[in-house]
Amino acid sequence: MNLHQALVPAEAVRPNFIQIDAVSYSFGAAQQALHHVKLSIPKGQFVCLLGPSGCGKTTLLNLVAGFLSPTDGYIFVNGQVIDGPGPDRGMVFQDYSLFPWLTIQRNVEFGPSIAGLPARERRERARHYLDLVNLGHIAERYPSELSGGMKQRVAIARALAAGPQVLLMDEPFAALDAMTRNHLQSELIRIHELERPTILFVTHNIDEAIRLADRVLVMSPNPGRVVRDMTIELEKPRVRTSVDFARLYDSFEADIGHAAF
Amino acid sequence: MRPSKAMRRGQGMRVAARRVITSVLGIVAFFLVWQLIATSGYVDTVMLPSPLEVFHSAAAIAETGELAEHTMASLARMALGYAVGSVLGVAFGVVLGRIIFLEWFVGPVLQMARAIPPLALVPLIIFWFGINEGAKVFLIAWATFFPVWINTLLGVKGVNPLFVRAGQSLGAQRATLLLRVVIPAALAPIFSGLRVALSISFTVLVAAELAGAIAGLGYFIQNSALSFRVDNIFVGIVVLAVLGFIADTLFMTLLYWLFPWYRAQQSGK
Repeated sequence: MNLHQALVPAEAVRPNFIQIDAVSYSFGAAQQALHHVKLSIPKGQFVCLLGPSGCGKTTLLNLVAGFLSPTDGYIFVNGQVIDGPGPDRGMVFQDYSLFPWLTIQRNVEFGPSIAGLPARERRERARHYLDLVNLGHIAERYPSELSGGMKQRVAIARALAAGPQVLLMDEPFAALDAMTRNHLQSELIRIHELERPTILFVTHNIDEAIRLADRVLVMSPNPGRVVRDMTIELEKPRVRTSVDFARLYDSFEADIGHAAF
Repeated sequence: MRPSKAMRRGQGMRVAARRVITSVLGIVAFFLVWQLIATSGYVDTVMLPSPLEVFHSAAAIAETGELAEHTMASLARMALGYAVGSVLGVAFGVVLGRIIFLEWFVGPVLQMARAIPPLALVPLIIFWFGINEGAKVFLIAWATFFPVWINTLLGVKGVNPLFVRAGQSLGAQRATLLLRVVIPAALAPIFSGLRVALSISFTVLVAAELAGAIAGLGYFIQNSALSFRVDNIFVGIVVLAVLGFIADTLFMTLLYWLFPWYRAQQSGK
């Protein structure tokens, strides 16, 4: 991995850091979940995949994660073709996937310890990311003692602590109440500004996509494809009551409306 | 307002204390009813000795060291058989749960073997091994193996795929994934298998000893019956009941102590 990184010109803008090259995916013969999706995502961009259920957005995320293999086409991350899950692509799921048998601290240390970091370093690393999500004080608790919002913050810390180049998030805030969701959205924006990970964020919530994303990809079902690719220039944090916000909302709603029916 | 940590802890302790007191009262009530029935004059006290008589008999046998000797003999073979059966059960469960060929190949034979009541094997085992230690340890290990094996198998196969995906995307593969994600995630069903096996091993222990032994609580009960000492039969039964209770309590206490997350997960589900 390190060798490969050395061969790539350092920190130049990489417009195709993630490259999705004519990817199709079918569940069996009849059901095409994704049809010929082509995308390039530059390093550090916060991308939302927005669409109704069945549009293939989660399938696309699982393909990038390596949990699924494309029926056709290839996916590259940092120039390497994806052929399975790996620690270079961190995952945050909708259902809290924290390991209930480990303390919060141990959960966050999981990635660094698999990578073989010595105990002191991985402790510090875990501490850093727990502090980043403002949960340094609950390190010794178990996941079952935490609220849904806290669990998702830990899940983000755990994913980041493994040192991924891409953070993949599958409707991570969908199960949370509106106030907690709002709060976590702000935290995620702050984390993105601090650590600059490339983020692929799946959501069916238009408001959430506009608040978070540098770029929104609207997807549509039958077969799953990208119908709109839009960069959002508005400065963050974005105000919901602004005219621009409302205009974007209406336009995405129109896209999804056309797409869904 | 949320109750403070100390308040909640205080409340928890009060609940625990109330529980212990109620349970002790239940036990006392049971022995009281037994005592009343035995001394009521309506039953033959030779057939149903009172708890006090049983206690006196127990004290007498304990004094000679005989009771301890029988108890130790039983506990030693049970511990060995339980350990062997549990280790094999977990090992087979994990391997068959992960390798589908082996599950299909070995699974049906093991399922058939599981269907044999262990007690049906007692005559055969004695025929083969005689009445020595090996026969009893084998039988206990045999009976322990199946509940542990089947629970481990189902546990390993039923692991939430989300945990596996999370582990993979954090870099865990093959052996690491198995040891650090799959097996820990299957611990709850493995524990319940081990717990069931613990009580089964008591059953099989006594059955094996009844059929032939030179020491042990089963042997002691059988021997007491031959000499018409019903009071001593009761001594054996009560000691077994107490041992079973202690073993299960110890098992759960150890579990909660070693795996503090387990209790929360149990009540959270």
